[in-house]
Amino acid sequence: MHLSLEDLIAVRDGEARADSARHAASCPECIAELSRLRSLREALAALPDEPPSRDLWPVVKARATAERQHRIWIRVGWVAAGLAAVFTLLIGVRGAIEAYVEAKVARQAQALIAESQRLEQELHASERQGRVMSGRTAGTVVQLEDRIAYLDSRLSRAEGERFPSQEILGLWQERVRLLDALVSVEATGTTYVGL
Amino acid sequence: MTAVTPTSFAVPVDEITVARARAGDEAALEALFRSFEAPVYSLARRLTRSTHDAEDVLQETFLEVVRSIHRFRGDGSLAGWIRKVAVSKALMKLRRRRGSAFEETLPEDLSDDDLALGPYGPATSAAERVDLETALGRLSDVARVVIWLHDVEGYSHDEIAAMAGKTASFSKSQLARAHARLRELLAPGVREEPCT
Ligand SMILES: [Zn+2]
Repeated sequence: MHLSLEDLIAVRDGEARADSARHAASCPECIAELSRLRSLREALAALPDEPPSRDLWPVVKARATAERQHRIWIRVGWVAAGLAAVFTLLIGVRGAIEAYVEAKVARQAQALIAESQRLEQELHASERQGRVMSGRTAGTVVQLEDRIAYLDSRLSRAEGERFPSQEILGLWQERVRLLDALVSVEATGTTYVGL
Repeated sequence: MTAVTPTSFAVPVDEITVARARAGDEAALEALFRSFEAPVYSLARRLTRSTHDAEDVLQETFLEVVRSIHRFRGDGSLAGWIRKVAVSKALMKLRRRRGSAFEETLPEDLSDDDLALGPYGPATSAAERVDLETALGRLSDVARVVIWLHDVEGYSHDEIAAMAGKTASFSKSQLARAHARLRELLAPGVREEPCT
């Protein structure tokens, strides 16, 4: 009886039982099959490496920076405050003279920013309790934090704008939604949130 | 295990760079990225067969490296750690892909330019390489992952089992099935192709 493929691989890898090894040493057909397996392994290893077609370091660096800043901010509960400062000032000055739609967007943004701040405080409070969470919950938290950090990097890029746009409003809406999910994950240890 | 041809992860990294990277030095982190971007990307591309997923894996792997290198102790190999992170990110991609409406990825066409690119290993001619690439593309995700991690990267069945959340005997039987399928696909005389 010739060796099975599984046994032949074990022989090749030096992990075979003694009887398989003995057969493989004397049977011409199994010897041929073994050498085929060895050269296939060499051929696979010799397939060329392929470099990525674009430089991804700037992306990694930006994401890492956003994440680090976010982690610092969220610990002190200043994220929404920092991102919102520029708008609240402008809303204060311009509120009375702006067109209805613009003012409405601004009010909505302001409400979302306030909600963001409230959720961050809640988060801060629950983090202080130092809950122990499972690895999977922690993974969900990291995922949510990553997405919030990404939103924050987009929001901070909009800092130069004079007034909150619809797009900014959408970002704040998404931010509140994610923070809300984060709060419930932290509070309940949920591992899956339908996002 | 018998010696396996060292893969491209065998990149020399000096201790000073590692120490600086652990301290958060950006230039050192970038140097590490430059040393490992090609092997990480390549490995991810082999495992996922998607350039898009491979780019994601490269990003996520290095985000993890930047995040966690301060916890990395000098006693293990840095390359080994980075490679393990890359494998687990790639496996996560595959799992997610199957969870959603997973469509079998078709092997990508190889153009004449690809054929003209080197370098080829000593035992592999251009034509054989194309055959092998095509054949790899026709394996199931699991079979491809197992044969690559075991035969090329040199992971043991126990290690593969731990990474993939399966048993060692599952890994062994998948490896045998992958080889059986490859033998079928690469069998001489089955495919009629002109010698170029
Ligand atoms: Zn035999």
